Amino acid sequence: METYKYLSPEWAQEAARRLKADLTPDKMKHLTSSMLTVYTDCPDGANRAVCYRVVDGVVEEVSLHEGELPDAEFTITAAYEIFARISRADLKARAALMSGKMTLKGNLVKALRLAPVVDRLNEVLATIPADY
Amino acid sequence: MSETTIPQADPYFIDFPNRIRAIQAEMGQQGIDVYLGSRLRTLSWTVDAFCPWRSYVVVPPQGLPTAVTFVIDAARVADDSWLDEDHVLGYGPMGGQEQISVLSGLVRPHLKGGKGVVGIESGMATYLPEGNLTQYEFECLQAALPDARLTNAHDIVDRLSLIKDEGTINRFRKASCIVDIGHQAVYDAIKEGGYRGMTETEIGGLAAYAMRKAGSEWEWSFTGGNEIASGYRTGLAAGACTPASRRALQAGEPLMVDLHAMFKLGLGDHAHNYLLGPATPRQRWHAQNFVTLVDLCLKTYRAGISPSRLADELLEVCEEGEFAEYLVPGFEHGIGMMGDEWRIGLNDGPFPYWTNPDHVYQAGEMLICAMQYACPEESIGLRYENPILITEEGCEVMSKYPLGVEEI
Repeated sequence: METYKYLSPEWAQEAARRLKADLTPDKMKHLTSSMLTVYTDCPDGANRAVCYRVVDGVVEEVSLHEGELPDAEFTITAAYEIFARISRADLKARAALMSGKMTLKGNLVKALRLAPVVDRLNEVLATIPADY
Repeated sequence: MSETTIPQADPYFIDFPNRIRAIQAEMGQQGIDVYLGSRLRTLSWTVDAFCPWRSYVVVPPQGLPTAVTFVIDAARVADDSWLDEDHVLGYGPMGGQEQISVLSGLVRPHLKGGKGVVGIESGMATYLPEGNLTQYEFECLQAALPDARLTNAHDIVDRLSLIKDEGTINRFRKASCIVDIGHQAVYDAIKEGGYRGMTETEIGGLAAYAMRKAGSEWEWSFTGGNEIASGYRTGLAAGACTPASRRALQAGEPLMVDLHAMFKLGLGDHAHNYLLGPATPRQRWHAQNFVTLVDLCLKTYRAGISPSRLADELLEVCEEGEFAEYLVPGFEHGIGMMGDEWRIGLNDGPFPYWTNPDHVYQAGEMLICAMQYACPEESIGLRYENPILITEEGCEVMSKYPLGVEEI
């Protein structure tokens, strides 16, 4: 099975492909939003971010960023290892948030309403064979 | 934004954007970059929603404010408020979402290079839910905004909210109409011996039911909602606070009924008194003293008079009638939209955060005419409360329930 280096351009490309294929607008509740996941302390010491843009339930963008980050409705920040543990299903995202290992910036009421949609997105990402 | 946003033709309309602009103008004059309100009175006055949980409002130098409340109530506050859901945020126990992170995140963009002045609300109050910023909150905010100067600025809202606008006054008028319905319900229940077997809590509850049927949102007072006292509880020494108890009403005793209704954050607050027959001549003497005094008090309020001058005039009458010893000193307390319940006027008196006895009333101010007569040794007390609007020539009494001490 082909594996992808986590947060590599190839991984992002595969993420976009799977998200578009697996998540229908109905499953995504025709959501229009943007989310930035900021990975601090990556294995090479850098900080990286992945930006997801969803328009009317269609995942239109999965892009990698370093340095200056784009604006997004929600920004989720955590150490690379925390995200990796969530992707490996070792840690629940909710537990990471509640314990302060992960921070969320954005409207909490909206975020809670969108949590099931984000869970679906994370479930698809977790299917990507990745090297962390 | 709420579907029930009030159109301008509505008698209860309040121009909240204009209130915010007035705060921003004052901020500009005082060199305040961003205002962080935390008092319940400030939240009601700016957000137009009841905020029962610890809440805040961040007022930027321009544009809309953002309210912040406990996440479990944020959607409801947004629904009630004139602000949309992007300007009513919730906080909760999550990374980046606890109070200090949310507040500092809202304040920081208005501080150039992290430097600037943040107006906060601090002080002390007799009123428990006042909502001043706590020392812990202050320290955490200062740590999150290390180069900012946090300065006490509650005078801005206090000054701006002193003179009531027409929408606010109409909300108070409506709340008082509802209180009158509550009083009628109590009278209908207790008349002709109907009080027998009833308890104070039951009186409070049946009044609450009638007022809620008439549209009251809740019996807003933190003193236990509707304050009902009977017998010796009416006359507790120097007392003026009587949450209802399980005490049964009894013949030959006084009954004090102090009702509270809320309509769109406007507050009704009216106390009426009864003598559950047979009344004694001495009880009637106390009752007559009290009614005379209340009547005189209401005729004395007008623009230009101060609490101390009013007290002098009334106490003279009490001395002449030889009942001064039964009067609890003080004839009023402040009132405004929900959360603004105690001090009258500004914080400019000889005792910080108490009413300035020399505060000169202006037309357009509102207060609660509040008088308590207590004779503990005879187990009798009487209370009068009524919201009044100060006018140039006198005052408008909001509750129209007839003044008197009724014998049942």
